[in-house]
Amino acid sequence: MDLLMYFFDVIIFVGIFGILALSLNLEFGFTGLVNFGKVAFFLVGAYAFAVMARFGIPLVFCFLGGALLAAALGLAVSLPALRLRLDYLAIATLALGEILRIVVKAERWIAGGVWGTPVPAAVSWAGASNRALALGDAALVYFCLLLSFVFLQYLTNSPYGRVIRAIREDEMAAEALGKDRLKYKAQVFMLGSALAGLAGGLYAQHLRFISPDMFMPMVTFWAWTMIILGGPANTRGALLGALVVEVFIRGTRIAKDFVHLPVDPYNLQYILLGLAVILVLMYRPQGLLKESEVKTKAKEIALARAKSSGSS
Amino acid sequence: MINWGQVLFNSAVTGSLYFIATVGLTSTYGLSRFPNVAHAEFVTLGAFLGYLVTQQLGWGYPFGILVALLGSGIVGVLSYRGIFEPLAKRGATMIHLAIASIGLGLMLRHIMGQIWGWAPLSYRVTWASFDIGPVRVTGLWLWIILAALVLAGVMHFMLTQTKLGKAIRATSFNPDLALASGINISRVTLTTWFMGAALAGVAGLFKGAMAKIDPLLGWEILLPAFAVTILGGVGSFYGAIAAAYIIGFAENIGVVFLANLGISTEYRMAIAFVILILTLIFRPRGLARSFGGT
Repeated sequence: MDLLMYFFDVIIFVGIFGILALSLNLEFGFTGLVNFGKVAFFLVGAYAFAVMARFGIPLVFCFLGGALLAAALGLAVSLPALRLRLDYLAIATLALGEILRIVVKAERWIAGGVWGTPVPAAVSWAGASNRALALGDAALVYFCLLLSFVFLQYLTNSPYGRVIRAIREDEMAAEALGKDRLKYKAQVFMLGSALAGLAGGLYAQHLRFISPDMFMPMVTFWAWTMIILGGPANTRGALLGALVVEVFIRGTRIAKDFVHLPVDPYNLQYILLGLAVILVLMYRPQGLLKESEVKTKAKEIALARAKSSGSS
Repeated sequence: MINWGQVLFNSAVTGSLYFIATVGLTSTYGLSRFPNVAHAEFVTLGAFLGYLVTQQLGWGYPFGILVALLGSGIVGVLSYRGIFEPLAKRGATMIHLAIASIGLGLMLRHIMGQIWGWAPLSYRVTWASFDIGPVRVTGLWLWIILAALVLAGVMHFMLTQTKLGKAIRATSFNPDLALASGINISRVTLTTWFMGAALAGVAGLFKGAMAKIDPLLGWEILLPAFAVTILGGVGSFYGAIAAAYIIGFAENIGVVFLANLGISTEYRMAIAFVILILTLIFRPRGLARSFGGT
């Protein structure tokens, strides 16, 4: 197959999963929320996009609809769930993901049930070549990724970012200082869910087809692998993790066509990924990129002032 | 008309399987204080080892059970010693350990996928079914129920009458006090991990004999196992017994209602998950409190 198309495929997946990793990074890395059901919101975004696109709704609204619906689900989940102990939250979200997958699998009228449903590409025009379409696809994905990245950098390098880190470190202390921890946690969860919904929509339109078995718990664990390897609490780390994992997975699959190995690379990559996660947790739990400092405007000014007067 | 006899019997089978599969999960969760997601792969390993011994080597079921038990048990102990204990010593939090177990599960699943392949395998022999009154029964199902009863009896005896059993109860109740009382926590922990994984393997063997075997077999039972763990109370052996049969019954009666209402029976699995979520929201301690915390 065309090497250029492979290239586009890889970078598009890096982009989509980059957004997903960013969303998980916001929830866990910065706020300490453990969401093992990320795929649920990814699924909601993808299916919402597919269903809305089928009704001929303009594609921008399909993306927004997916993100909003995912955010609504995030809010609904956060109300009962965010009070739970972290491991219970993890298990509950894991169960939620599976429940949603069963629902879309069982209810054929939503989107074809087990057989899935085709999805139109978001960026297409008559007479476009495959390469042009891929380029348009990638441009859309990276536009969304850039928006998400800039927004999250802004959010985490602000007083808001400090509050959510405080909640991560010691909820009770944050509450004692007057920060309504449930409100912040719910907001973060909704935001993370919205981003995951957006990523889901992009995923659906890129693959031009969705079915329930594309939304197994493994998708959540991919995202987790990405942020653990890249470094939780570092936005660039999340992207780095997405890059490393996706390139590794897709890259080795493509290499399979050119190089022959005694071990099925599909199995080998996952064995290595699992091992990498364990090794990182053992020897470098902060990940590849350490936690970034909070760079608020106030801090910038204070540092500048200290520098200009501090040489005495 | 609902065939209550069949429903109750099926519930007993499902409940027995869930019970055998979950004892290990709830024990290690309670003792080592983290949910071991790789428990699914202990189950799967038992299924594959059982298949290897009984179908590929043709050695018979007792050997199959023994190999599944030992194989999964050893992998369980190695996992604890090689991964979870060192991580815990380095100060890993509960969530770090859970994520490590996800990584471990990934590795184990794909090692098994490499060895046995991803195409589903099934047992060549089909169990003869016969009718006891209105209830359809197979030999395999009876074995599963028998195994669960034996397990429950043996464990109850061990927990209440033997020194090791009391040590296990003491350690899961209050590790520091147990240590101060001179209990060898290390031995208790290793025993628990071995037993837990070994029983998971046996459950896997039974599940494999009932249905198709592939590397994802353990995952199909993992969430129901978590449901049983949470409903019964994390770490509670007796709670797990009650919860396993409650959920087994809920699933089987639920399926009957679903079929009668014309709703897809895909939702069968969702029943356990809904119970799980409701328990977490309304009674996170589970049933264990009624059993005095054991």
